Amino acid sequence: MKFALGLLALAVPLLAQETATSPPPAASPVPAGEPWLTGSIDFGYRFTSTGGNTDVYNSVVNLHQGPRLFGLDFSIIDPHKRLFDRLDVRAYNWGGDPYNTVRVDASKRGIYDFHFDYRDIAYFNFLPSYADPLLGTGLVLDENSYFSRRRMSDFTLDLLPGHRIIPFFAYGRDSGDGTGITTFVSDINEYPVADHSYDKTDNYRGGVRLEFNRFHATLEQGGTTLRNDQQVYDSTVNYGNNYQPYFGQTLFLSNLAQAYGIRGDSIYTKALFTANPFPWVDLYGQFLYSQPETSVNYTQANTGNFVLQQELLFYTGEEALSFSSAKQPHTSGNVGFEVRPLKRLRILESFTTDRMHTAAGGLFTDILLQPASAAQTLPTELASLLAVNYSQNQIDALVDVTRKLTLHGGYRYVWGDAQTGNLLVAGPGQESSELRQRVGIGGVNFRMNDKLSANLDVEGAATSHAYFRTSLYNYQRVRARARYQVTPTLSLQATFSLLNNQNPTPGINYDFLSHQNSLSVSWLASKRVNILGEYTRSTLRSDIGYLEPETLQPGQISFYRDNAHSANALVDVALPGYAGLKPRLAFGGSLFISSGSRPTRFYQPLARLSVPLYKYVAWNSEWRYYGYGEPFYLYEGFRAQIVQTGLRLSR
Amino acid sequence: MLWPPLLRFKRRFPAAFPPPPIGAAAAIFFCWPLAAQTPPPTAPVFVGSEACGTCHEDIYNAFQKNPHKLVDTQARRGWEAKACESCHGPGGKHVESAAKEDILNPARLPAAQVDRTCLKCHLNQPTHVGRIQNSHARNEVSCTACHAIHRNGPNGLVPRKLAAINEQCASCHTAVWAQFQRTYRHRLPEGGMSCVDCHNPHGSILRANLQTYAADEPGCFRCHGDKRGPFTFEHAPVRFEGCGACHEPHGSANPHMLTRAEVRYMCLECHSNLPVAPGPIKNPPALGGVPPSFHDLFSPQFQNCTVCHVKIHGSYVNQELLR
Repeated sequence: MKFALGLLALAVPLLAQETATSPPPAASPVPAGEPWLTGSIDFGYRFTSTGGNTDVYNSVVNLHQGPRLFGLDFSIIDPHKRLFDRLDVRAYNWGGDPYNTVRVDASKRGIYDFHFDYRDIAYFNFLPSYADPLLGTGLVLDENSYFSRRRMSDFTLDLLPGHRIIPFFAYGRDSGDGTGITTFVSDINEYPVADHSYDKTDNYRGGVRLEFNRFHATLEQGGTTLRNDQQVYDSTVNYGNNYQPYFGQTLFLSNLAQAYGIRGDSIYTKALFTANPFPWVDLYGQFLYSQPETSVNYTQANTGNFVLQQELLFYTGEEALSFSSAKQPHTSGNVGFEVRPLKRLRILESFTTDRMHTAAGGLFTDILLQPASAAQTLPTELASLLAVNYSQNQIDALVDVTRKLTLHGGYRYVWGDAQTGNLLVAGPGQESSELRQRVGIGGVNFRMNDKLSANLDVEGAATSHAYFRTSLYNYQRVRARARYQVTPTLSLQATFSLLNNQNPTPGINYDFLSHQNSLSVSWLASKRVNILGEYTRSTLRSDIGYLEPETLQPGQISFYRDNAHSANALVDVALPGYAGLKPRLAFGGSLFISSGSRPTRFYQPLARLSVPLYKYVAWNSEWRYYGYGEPFYLYEGFRAQIVQTGLRLSR
Repeated sequence: MLWPPLLRFKRRFPAAFPPPPIGAAAAIFFCWPLAAQTPPPTAPVFVGSEACGTCHEDIYNAFQKNPHKLVDTQARRGWEAKACESCHGPGGKHVESAAKEDILNPARLPAAQVDRTCLKCHLNQPTHVGRIQNSHARNEVSCTACHAIHRNGPNGLVPRKLAAINEQCASCHTAVWAQFQRTYRHRLPEGGMSCVDCHNPHGSILRANLQTYAADEPGCFRCHGDKRGPFTFEHAPVRFEGCGACHEPHGSANPHMLTRAEVRYMCLECHSNLPVAPGPIKNPPALGGVPPSFHDLFSPQFQNCTVCHVKIHGSYVNQELLR
């Protein structure tokens, strides 16, 4: 201790001397007395108790027990501005949770801006009601299930050697790997088999931004590389989903090795432009071009007993090889302007076009092995095309009738054409279609005063051609919203939206209507109590004719109904304090109740208690409940109690 | 220069038109600061940010860490030591009278005028290149609806934490947030994602302000790279109408965020065109073809089409998307 004091006694005059002789430092953006490090860390332990279907619980919630880093959030301000002026780090949900995130932002004025973002998200998916072809036998399984992780990272670096010309570089990686169950399809039978997949996309880009007072241009060149490998395998005797004998023979799979090796790359170019050559006009434009390509090696070897139904040919082994490649040049562009010919009038015009052509070709060779005869080789050429050309022109006029009222009107014309199909199969193998749509647009924005505002937007469309039976055709869309600040502590917001889409074309007769109404309240009931709440009622009705595959007779109707209630609420209460420390209690949660085609109940109540123990230390606890049930699929219900407790250290 | 009817209008109401600096356009195009473009008829009195701080001390102190503090310190922007007045206008009269009528308050202006104030400096940046298509700009949602200009912003003027971003968007888009309370959804309520991962609030060339990936591809492929292709055999709706043709990305009661409760109906609603005579089909009522007639929908084996058509997003090998 004496040594430390002595060192301090020596150091202080030296430091003071240095301060006196050194040039004055650059003005710091930090007010005097500001700490160089601020932030907090939340850590603790989570306890879970689950009941019901744990597979569905993992598919929906997937939180488990154990020690956790719930949150880490800190900022460092370097008053000497050495490597950075400011560094911000935020990380959440680490230590085994399925949603891990990190973000780092660092900047040094006049030198660089750096951003790093990382996500690691686990997806578990096992939902028997989705893909269970053996439900009739009492088996509850999902033949399209998987457990995978996706990891996304992005690095962006802006160099700032000058104020006007800004070079930038960026790198991003998206990767995923996992295992699961998929099906191997062999004519009239399909076999659930194990699956492992891995994919990785790297994205490199760089460019320069030119930012001037009157115009800006950004030029960017980038490229991606793709690696996507999938292995499907099985080495047990597998009778598949169609286990009835076929012409007296039992079909089965005894061995399978199937592999996809997909490699891809792309280049892309972006050119962006904005300008305001005169005070009454702004110009916008962008040109975007990309050309992704893939090449694929596919191999398959399977043994067992299989049938080629068309030729009634039984065989015991199959080997397949395929090589193919695809290319997709894709060009998009947009130009537009906002012109203000009068003080109260704005005209917005934009033209957009998008042209994408995919062409693919390859060879697929299938060799069928039979025990008593020579192998049959069935080569097939692969050639396909998909082309879509889309254009849109929209003009809008906005008039400030008074300071409180703005009217909005416009017109949009959308047109395009598309072609798709297998180039080697004539007739139904190839299809082409057109898109022609005219849309009228209107709106009102009303600001009564600081307390009350409302707006209404309406769209109505007439369509002569659309691509798909369920596409937007003759539709009306309405959106309205109103806000009212009743008192300084109470505010209300109401929203309404409606979409009515009709396609009366014979053979289609699509009738779709959905609407959503919501009301939200924010009320600071007292100095201690803050209440937030919202309620949403939504309904959806969809009727469309379809052909029953067996009979190909029209007249069948596909009905879909969804009548839902959703509510969110949170009551935040400041409890009586002690020694200047104020505990807080928050409780509320959300619920979702729906009826219709898939009736569902999903409850998520919660309560949180935060008790400060010291100026920079708080004890946080949270209780959360998940309750899920479906009347049609009772076996998918689950409930879970989750309690987490820990400390929050802050500075 | 102007449309003739407008020209006549201008002659009749000259005050409605700001003075066009057309004669000097070539000279000023690149570098003349905006501040110098339109000299007002009477010289305004600027008092400087320090003077504002004498009365608005809390805002002034918070502003010291605000990104807009740069306006105070960088001479090239033309507002050195006058950052407050760069948005609020000259404060000389207000300092004398202390009346709120004597100072410009963007919070009380129509959204378009607020935007003009911000875009004076921010228009010529890549952020705003999609503004012309932006539903926010067209629907009078001003910059300050999301950006808190006076906030002491350690991370800028908008929330940067994923949960806080979602909270801000949900304050207006309440019905959308209600969809995220459904069972199957993207992981926003859990804090794994935020609204701006998928949507660009400043506008985009794609519908619904969707983010783009690798120039002009939907932002969905940033995370779902394995669905990007190009495939040897594409599933046309993925390219023509996007993921939303089959999925409800904000949340659904149906597994895999599908728009229908059962897979077979979702598929058959499109794949139900009436059979046509052999030969090239030109302009059918819709794309999608006819369902193969051997499928027995009474059998659970055929009720979930994706059990067999496993490569539903596109296949590298098989036209029927079976492998």
